[in-house]
Amino acid sequence: MSAPLFSFAGVTGGYGATTVVRAVDGEVAAGEACCVLGRNGVGKTTLMRLLTGHLPLQSGAVTFGGRPMDGLAPDERHGLGLIYCPQDRPVFDNLSVRENLTLMASADADRYAPLLAAFPILEDRMAQSAGTLSGGERKILSFVRGAAETGRLLLLDEPSEGVQQENVERMAAFLHEAKAAGRALLIVEQNLAFALEIADRVIVMDHGEVVLAGNAADMTEATLAAHMHV
Amino acid sequence: MDPILTTNILNVVYEVSTLAVVVLGLAVVFGLLGVMNLAHGEFVMIGAYCAFFVQTQNLPFLAAVPVALLVCIVLGLAVERILVRPLYARPFDTLLATWGLSMLLREGVEAVYGRGFKSVAVPLTDSIDVLGADYPSYRLLLAAVSIALVAGLVWWFVRSATGRRIRAVVNNPELAGSVGIPVTALARNTFVFGCCLAALSGVLLAPLMPVQPMLGLDFILKSFFVLVVGGLGSLVGLISGSGVIGGVESIVSAFFDRTYGYTTVLIIAILFLWLRPNGLFPRT
Ligand SMILES: Nc1ncnc2c1ncn2[C@@H]1O[C@H](COP(=O)(O)OP(=O)(O)O)[C@@H](O)[C@H]1O
Ligand SMILES: [Mg+2]
Repeated sequence: MSAPLFSFAGVTGGYGATTVVRAVDGEVAAGEACCVLGRNGVGKTTLMRLLTGHLPLQSGAVTFGGRPMDGLAPDERHGLGLIYCPQDRPVFDNLSVRENLTLMASADADRYAPLLAAFPILEDRMAQSAGTLSGGERKILSFVRGAAETGRLLLLDEPSEGVQQENVERMAAFLHEAKAAGRALLIVEQNLAFALEIADRVIVMDHGEVVLAGNAADMTEATLAAHMHV
Repeated sequence: MDPILTTNILNVVYEVSTLAVVVLGLAVVFGLLGVMNLAHGEFVMIGAYCAFFVQTQNLPFLAAVPVALLVCIVLGLAVERILVRPLYARPFDTLLATWGLSMLLREGVEAVYGRGFKSVAVPLTDSIDVLGADYPSYRLLLAAVSIALVAGLVWWFVRSATGRRIRAVVNNPELAGSVGIPVTALARNTFVFGCCLAALSGVLLAPLMPVQPMLGLDFILKSFFVLVVGGLGSLVGLISGSGVIGGVESIVSAFFDRTYGYTTVLIIAILFLWLRPNGLFPRT
């Protein structure tokens, strides 16, 4: 078996001297989706920040495309193809919707066409500042920005939070397409049905540690819920 | 129009526009890096000494511009790497470190040139008739250059891709890194840019002020007053702060004297700190 595109082992870290995430392992292969589940406050977002280079590791290792990520800043990881859509403050509130989408891209807006067709609310608000969007609309804008990027790995932190059901389903369709195109997905979710629809593997966290990990096909919502203590 | 009134209006315009350029450098660095560079005035001072140095070498006045920029690029890069970057998340330590740097730069220049006032010859000695008032053309030119510089920078900040990326970093530094903006390099370049803007002001103002090692203190104090009055939030705040501070100082100085001008400005700043601590245009 070839090495997974993205893997991390023993990831431990937090804020300053405080440790929030302890010894978390995981991997995602190209064309595969891994979902990270867990209640609020168990450290899922902190794990994402550790993987993307926004927080330093206290110990452990992160490897992407066979390359160790230690010491690489978030923009360098982005340059290697690691795309991240954060949970909180997912867009630039002071820029317009259009500027959010074209900030780093040349004018080749073509890559946005299928996404904008699926989420017409953005098209209607192109000139509006992103800060005036609702929470769910911001998540959609963030999703569109991330999904349109060409990087091989997509990290999404609660993409469906506050998003209407019909739009959650459209997101799921795009994520299936991304998998089919060979991208690797690591997705934090609270919405179990959405997670199970796209996930090949599942990691359940509690108190900063992994309490359950395995193939999504072997898990029912009931087992997951039991491990999440919900 | 009454020539005295015209002269006073031009003085206010001159004072406000030249002050705005100095504050702009300080404010852009603060906005992006969250770093208040207390040595900002010393970069103005270094610029002024570059003008003096060029004069001692019998070079034309404008040769001071590339000299000052070169000196401040090298110095700015070193300061950013050694002092500013390691202290990002520690604003109080940054204040101490840049204050220490300002003392070092004053002492350094004093060691080379001594304490005495130096004077730089005014490159344009004639005056121009403006609506009946006889106004020194160099001051007029300087006001025009300052206005063009501020307007050009504002335009660039609003319209260019880099300006947009700077605004993105200010709004959301975490996301900025993750969409691929090289945040560290952008911060470094912005810091150096702020230093260069200060140095450029120093060169251009050198013929109109006594050049001495302490001159930066006056600029950093006035810049503070501007930021206190205008607020740290926006360019509008910066320009209106410069308007209030530069305008009041030059008007009061014209009718009474410099000391009164200075005292009035100090009182205004204290009143603002007291009654409206976030300035006219607070950061949202
Ligand atoms: N910026 C921060 N500084 C200090 N502690 C934080 C910070 N952000 C989150 N935490 C703490 O880390 C823990 C995990 O938070 P988080 O990773 O956001 O959880 P989740 O994403 O699973 O809801 C919580 O106890 C939270 O209080
Ligand atoms: Mg979270």
